[in-house]
Amino acid sequence: MEIILKPDPKPSRQSNKTIRKKWVKKSTIYAALSIFAIINVYPILWMVINSFKSEKEFTVNQFGFPKDFVIDNYISAWNTANLGILFKNSIFICIVATLITVFIGALASYFLSRFTFKMNKGIYSFFIFGMLIPIHSTLVPMFILLRDLGLLNSPITLLFPYIAFHLPLTIFILTSFMKQFPKDIEESAVMDGAGIFRIFWSIILPMSRPAVATVVILNFIYNWNEFSFALVLINDPALQTLPLGLASFAGQFTVNYGAQMAGLTMSLLPILIFYLLLEKEIVKGMTAGAVKG
Amino acid sequence: MHLAKKSKFAIIIGLLPALLLYTIFAIVPILQSFYYSLMEWNGFSEMKFVGLSNFKMLFQDPLFWKSAKNNLFVVIASVLGQIPIALVIALLLNRKLKGAKFFRTIGFLPVVLSTVVISLTWSLIYNTKNGLINELLRTVGLESLTQNWLGDTSWSMIAVCITVIWQFVGLYLIIFLAALQNIPEEVLEAAKIDGASEWVTTWKITIPMIWDTIIVAVILCISGSLRTFDLIYVMTHGGPAHSTEVMALYMFNETFNKLQYGYGSAVSVVIFFFSLLLIFIVTKSMGKKMI
Repeated sequence: MEIILKPDPKPSRQSNKTIRKKWVKKSTIYAALSIFAIINVYPILWMVINSFKSEKEFTVNQFGFPKDFVIDNYISAWNTANLGILFKNSIFICIVATLITVFIGALASYFLSRFTFKMNKGIYSFFIFGMLIPIHSTLVPMFILLRDLGLLNSPITLLFPYIAFHLPLTIFILTSFMKQFPKDIEESAVMDGAGIFRIFWSIILPMSRPAVATVVILNFIYNWNEFSFALVLINDPALQTLPLGLASFAGQFTVNYGAQMAGLTMSLLPILIFYLLLEKEIVKGMTAGAVKG
Repeated sequence: MHLAKKSKFAIIIGLLPALLLYTIFAIVPILQSFYYSLMEWNGFSEMKFVGLSNFKMLFQDPLFWKSAKNNLFVVIASVLGQIPIALVIALLLNRKLKGAKFFRTIGFLPVVLSTVVISLTWSLIYNTKNGLINELLRTVGLESLTQNWLGDTSWSMIAVCITVIWQFVGLYLIIFLAALQNIPEEVLEAAKIDGASEWVTTWKITIPMIWDTIIVAVILCISGSLRTFDLIYVMTHGGPAHSTEVMALYMFNETFNKLQYGYGSAVSVVIFFFSLLLIFIVTKSMGKKMI
């Protein structure tokens, strides 16, 4: 008892030391994380800030904020790169491809997950194999195939590869989600006289909402960012998507940095807003998509 | 009962749209490339059967080997860059920390951006005259270190790889964080009570417990970086002097610039099998080590 009651200077000194140690540790961690964050975000920030500077100011004041905001870069980028057309094409392709992929993918997943038939496993594996195909090995044959079908350089050209190559992941995610529902769901619906497609549309699809949201987001982002197929299959400037248009725009105007940065910033904006609004879903979807793909 | 009778027809109707589109536009092209790879064909005139001579030509082309070597370089740089950085940041973030969410948001940001936007942004950063890096070096008085980052054969590949690493660290960071959060609290608690330091706990408990995830990440990283095409196409077009040319770019140039569709298809076939083989080897070899 006495020993415990006696004031002992040692422990308190030690705890002082551990407090300091903890503080040093915490600061080191924050320092490391901050460096990481700066490296991650500064390249983008640097570009966005400089897109508001005149060519002259950019050469002398690259690191500061713009002295007076110049939007000339935006006007010239919008006009020379035909950003309006690019946005329109990208939005059209993205929405249509995503809707079709998710709809027919969900329909296929419904039958693959809720029905037993002879070819079930085989068809499922056939779809999943698609996730292993390196897309670049199909660029040449895809070009030839679409050319022979007379589908090169049309507003719907890109729908075909985009749908075909995103079906595997869509089916994978939706099938594994739909498999978890208990069996008696359909049974009671059948008792009520609902048909097979009715059950899909009014029971299974609404129940799969979280997984459907994931695949919609994934498809949208992948389609929005896709470049290789667009590069090979689209020649007509009026049909270019945003990534393709930006790449050729930058090639043409290598000297006009301001306009280039303005064009990049504008094309960055939609996906950035999308990301900040739906961060949780996007992160979840893209990591799931990557791990499973 | 009612369901079973009708179901056969319904199953066919339900699967057909997906099956047709997928087969025609994903599987048929692969099979066609096998067929075309045996032909000499400029894409327009009559095809000529040449057997395996496209492959023979391919394996004798030093440029092909150079592109394969460059490809391997990108793969190795990605694995050695992305995985350790992502793991360290994930370990640092995996604790009660103010602002952890902020760092996660920032960390993942590059992953959602389009490769074209990233490539163009980094091309501006590497720019000799006005680029961020050279300007930074000049500001701190290290003018002698400024380089023509993308235009100098001894730097171009490194510059490209830094961008590749930057683009995807965030993906593995999130994957590792998810795995770390799955480690049961009690395990780490027990180690702490036993007096293990955080360093020891990390090496002896945390890392072994997420080893499976690390392997998955390495495989992902390999198959992802093998497919690098967009980024290099936009940043350097494979140059200067083919110093950043990877296999997909070699294929693109041989096919569409030289109009050799048969030869290009042979390269496609090689890329296809090379990818599958590499993933197979890594899965096997790392799987063995685990036991």
